[in-house]
Amino acid sequence: MGRVFLEHLGGQRIFSCAHCETPLTNRNELVSTRFTGATGRAFLFSRVVNTKQSAVQERMMLTGRHFVRDISCKKCDAKLGWMYEFATEETQRYKEGRVILERALINETDGF
Amino acid sequence: MSTSTNSGGQQQTLSLDNAATASSTPLPLASDPNDNNNSERLKQQTQRLTHHLNGLTSPTIPSPSSAANVSSSNGHEASSANGNNNHFITSSTQTIITGSSYPSNGDSNSSRTFSNSQKEVLRLIGQHLQSVGLSKTVDILIHESGCVLEHEQASNFRELIMSGKWTEAIVALEKLKQYIEERDGIQQMKYLILEQKYFELIEDNHAMEALQCLRYEIQGLKIRTERTHELTTFLMFNSMKDMYKAANWSGKGFLSRQNLMEKLQKFLPPDVMLPPKRLESLLTQAVELQQERCTYHVRPGTLTLEDVSLLKDHACSKQTFPCVTIQTLTEHSDEVWFCKFSPDGTKLATGSKDGYLHIYDVDLETYKMKLRKQFEGHSFGIGCIAWCPFSRYVIACGTDECNELWIWDVEQEEQRSRMTHTPEDSLTCAAWLPCGQRFVCGGSRGQFYYCDIDGNVIDSWEGVRLQCLHVTHDGLILAADAQKRISSYKFDSLTDQQIIHEDHPIMSFTVSKDGRLALLNIATQGVHLWDLHDKQLVRKYQGVTQGNYVNHATFGGPNEEFIASGSEDSKVYLWHRRQERPIMVFSGHTRTVNCVSWHPTSPLVFASASDDATVRIWSTPEHQTKTVLPNNEPSS
Repeated sequence: MGRVFLEHLGGQRIFSCAHCETPLTNRNELVSTRFTGATGRAFLFSRVVNTKQSAVQERMMLTGRHFVRDISCKKCDAKLGWMYEFATEETQRYKEGRVILERALINETDGF
Repeated sequence: MSTSTNSGGQQQTLSLDNAATASSTPLPLASDPNDNNNSERLKQQTQRLTHHLNGLTSPTIPSPSSAANVSSSNGHEASSANGNNNHFITSSTQTIITGSSYPSNGDSNSSRTFSNSQKEVLRLIGQHLQSVGLSKTVDILIHESGCVLEHEQASNFRELIMSGKWTEAIVALEKLKQYIEERDGIQQMKYLILEQKYFELIEDNHAMEALQCLRYEIQGLKIRTERTHELTTFLMFNSMKDMYKAANWSGKGFLSRQNLMEKLQKFLPPDVMLPPKRLESLLTQAVELQQERCTYHVRPGTLTLEDVSLLKDHACSKQTFPCVTIQTLTEHSDEVWFCKFSPDGTKLATGSKDGYLHIYDVDLETYKMKLRKQFEGHSFGIGCIAWCPFSRYVIACGTDECNELWIWDVEQEEQRSRMTHTPEDSLTCAAWLPCGQRFVCGGSRGQFYYCDIDGNVIDSWEGVRLQCLHVTHDGLILAADAQKRISSYKFDSLTDQQIIHEDHPIMSFTVSKDGRLALLNIATQGVHLWDLHDKQLVRKYQGVTQGNYVNHATFGGPNEEFIASGSEDSKVYLWHRRQERPIMVFSGHTRTVNCVSWHPTSPLVFASASDDATVRIWSTPEHQTKTVLPNNEPSS
């Protein structure tokens, strides 16, 4: 294992891993806050960095059947949320390729 | 060498005037001190040659010497100019005469020193002259330059091997002992020689001698005992044929001795014994390099020395390259979205927005296309065509909202089958598996099917939005999805592996014949070349405008070193695989060029399909004249 390479998207409001403070994304990438995850409130982002993806899993959600990959922090491996690989409902297709981060698992801080 | 030109001219006249004296002057001893016999022989030869030349030259070319005489009598001003002249006149004979006059300026030997590389060049030239049978010239060369072609013992050794005098060869080998670098090299060499001797004895039916050779000579070396045991078995064979096969031996004679010599050569340093045909192999390397660097090289196969002139660097001209439209196919009534040559190169399939699939016969001589069949009945425009590996069946796919695909039998000129799915499905791309009986297809609404030739779904994969499909020769299924990736999919184990991740959407891609390189058309970015093994971007090709319409690029040329793609500026761009900038840009189409397909077997022709409802066939100017067409437009 080498040194973990970390990106930084910059921006005004930074979302980072609650466990290790690794920056993940910023407010500009935020698509929606009206999502619910296993721990409660969750946000949908169009782009998130410094994460790892699991294998595809099929999951039944309130809005229909989805294929998702779990997302975890690249540095500390803490679970953060999931990304949508495929949405069977045409109305849910906008979520594909986007990432859900659970509010309880991330911190929001001021950037520079 | 350059300093000697002027004096050479003077010596010229001198040697002509004093040719008789020159021949009678005692020859200086040869430069090679350990070569007395040789120098003695050469002395006689040179004398003979000088006499001979005297007889030849004095009556035929009196002009140089007389001119020199005149010039010298005319005074100083003229003499310098005429002296030069004189030099030029005689220069044609100089090569011969220098050889003969060599004894007169014998001191040149000691005064002239060659650098190592010069010496090596001389040795190469000498070896080449020897191989073409100019042995007298070689003798002169050796003497004048003072360089030996190879060590005398070495050439002696070679002669003995080639004439099969094994005992003498081994004695001669002892004399070369000091040059052999490898520690037990000499033992190994002896072993090889005795092995040859052993085989030749068997072949001559001298089984007793062969056995003795094996027992006393080969075993006496005490190396490679396993091989020795193996050698004993060759005595037991009933027929020679079996023995040849088992021993992998080509039989007694020149060829096998040559092989032996090559093996022995490896033990000797090259300054003792030159590798065979060294000059030729160097020149072959040069030609190979020139071919590699040749920008417009479309000739299949590798160039040999016979194909090119060594006097200049090889470079193909644009005239031998497909650069003009030789035919314009106008049978479609709307935008042509796709064109593809069949794998055997005998047919061209084109698909259009007008819902027709056209099959053309390709004349492999003139590259002229002749409409063979118009397939109709497609409910949508044809956006993608896939030829089966045996060039018999064609799959036609429609646009994003199309839930059907059609499989046509080109030989029988009929529909083989038709796949219809629910209206929510879309089937926009397809690719055949190497067996030619099964295919994969799919579309952007998440369908991904593994089907048989009658359109029955054998297996399906959920959760991938396909943009483009490709199956390599070894059956690996590659697909570009809507999330800017290309992954490989294995239906038997339901595993996928991401290979490429682009920053922009992938519109289409194709894979080189060896399955190593992928050529991608990226929306707004143009054409990217990826290495599928290393999973790395190799090159981005510049020039094209792409983004609003699906475009299909192609590999082309004998080793697929060319890349061509259409563009939304109505042009066709062509690159050499190693250069980002296009080497040619073709004008002719009047609207977006959607697809380019290079002929799979002949590198001299490719087709381009455009929104202007035409398909253009591009080839060399030579093929343009073969076909008479009214609306030929030259390329830019």
